[in-house]
Amino acid sequence: MTNINGKAYAMNAITPMKWWKTPLLRIFFFVLGLVKPLQADLKNLSFIHFARWVIVPRNGFPHLSEKQPAENLRYDYLLFFSNFNGTWNQYIDAFSAVLSIGLNLIWWWSEKYPGAVPVTPFKEYIGRVQFDTDYYYNSYPRAATNDIKAALRVQDAVDEFAKTSQSLTLGDFEKAYVEFLVKVQPDLGSTGMAPVGT
Amino acid sequence: MANQNGQIYGLTILSPIIQGDSKDLAHASAIRWYLARQPRDRRSPLARVTGTHQARLVVMDDVVYVGAPACEEHLQSRYLVFETNFDGDLDAYLMRMAAEAHEFVHSVWQHCVAYPGVDDPHAFAAYMKKCQVNTTFYFADVNNKTVKQNLQALQLQSALARFIERHQGEEPAVIQKAFGEFLETMRRAPAPEPGGDDAHRTPQENRPHD
Repeated sequence: MTNINGKAYAMNAITPMKWWKTPLLRIFFFVLGLVKPLQADLKNLSFIHFARWVIVPRNGFPHLSEKQPAENLRYDYLLFFSNFNGTWNQYIDAFSAVLSIGLNLIWWWSEKYPGAVPVTPFKEYIGRVQFDTDYYYNSYPRAATNDIKAALRVQDAVDEFAKTSQSLTLGDFEKAYVEFLVKVQPDLGSTGMAPVGT
Repeated sequence: MANQNGQIYGLTILSPIIQGDSKDLAHASAIRWYLARQPRDRRSPLARVTGTHQARLVVMDDVVYVGAPACEEHLQSRYLVFETNFDGDLDAYLMRMAAEAHEFVHSVWQHCVAYPGVDDPHAFAAYMKKCQVNTTFYFADVNNKTVKQNLQALQLQSALARFIERHQGEEPAVIQKAFGEFLETMRRAPAPEPGGDDAHRTPQENRPHD
């Protein structure tokens, strides 16, 4: 089991849903995908590299051979996969505090979902429906998603400054260099190990 | 399409694992044992599959019973879950998997039902697509940059911080010349390897759970 690779945590969860509730959730996801401002809280949390929800209908598990026994399920299942920064507790706490309405709209259709607030039963539920990762690869283990976004802003600033930096007079260069430093200063630094947390 | 966000593709694969009878754990265990021995840093087989941002493999033993009054039910097969976030096109990526991580792919998927082998990349890609389940909603925080672009930006960010620190307080003429050299050095610098280096990790990064 290896849920962590560097600064990223791979979370997997599966929850059962009555089949007739699934279309309602699909409609919600469709609207969420269409209306970008509804994703603002998810985006602003800024500690999720990638996340996905996958609805697997009760007859939707891949069946590839006659030798493979057919599934006989009553429930549809909602799979959730997230690649986030920080610890499990920080993640669930932040989800509960910031995204409770959105989470409730997603998991309300799942059996026995207790709601995102209060956080204690929510954590108990997530703990019950989560399953562990066997192998986790991360191409930038020492960088959180905020580190990457900061680095990309630095890249843009350097590219822009590079266009003129060598052709400026000394006086103009001095002024432009200071402006450049002010621009990149908030985004400088090196990536590294994740702090120890619980 | 929900499988894609910007230029990032989110692939979800559920490959049924072979089982001789209902108590047969051999294939699922073999996958887990093999995966447990694989490096997870720049030497990872998935680091060789160009364009892979983050990916995971999970043996899903069963669905979850959340308690009464929900019904208890069980899967008839275990499933290998492959979740990956990569740059670009699905077919090209599956072909790259077959070509660039040949041994890894075979060692893992040989335990799965109807796996056709990896010698024919087209057959492998077709098999993987049969195992694909479509993503319903996909979120990617940075969805317009490749792995290589992200790594190069991280490298530049770190190098620029060192440059600024080193040249603090120097004359503008010295800084201008040095900055030109810095740009040239960065332009020629080899692209950083994806996956980092496990030799430089601390024990807490390997902590099992918190």
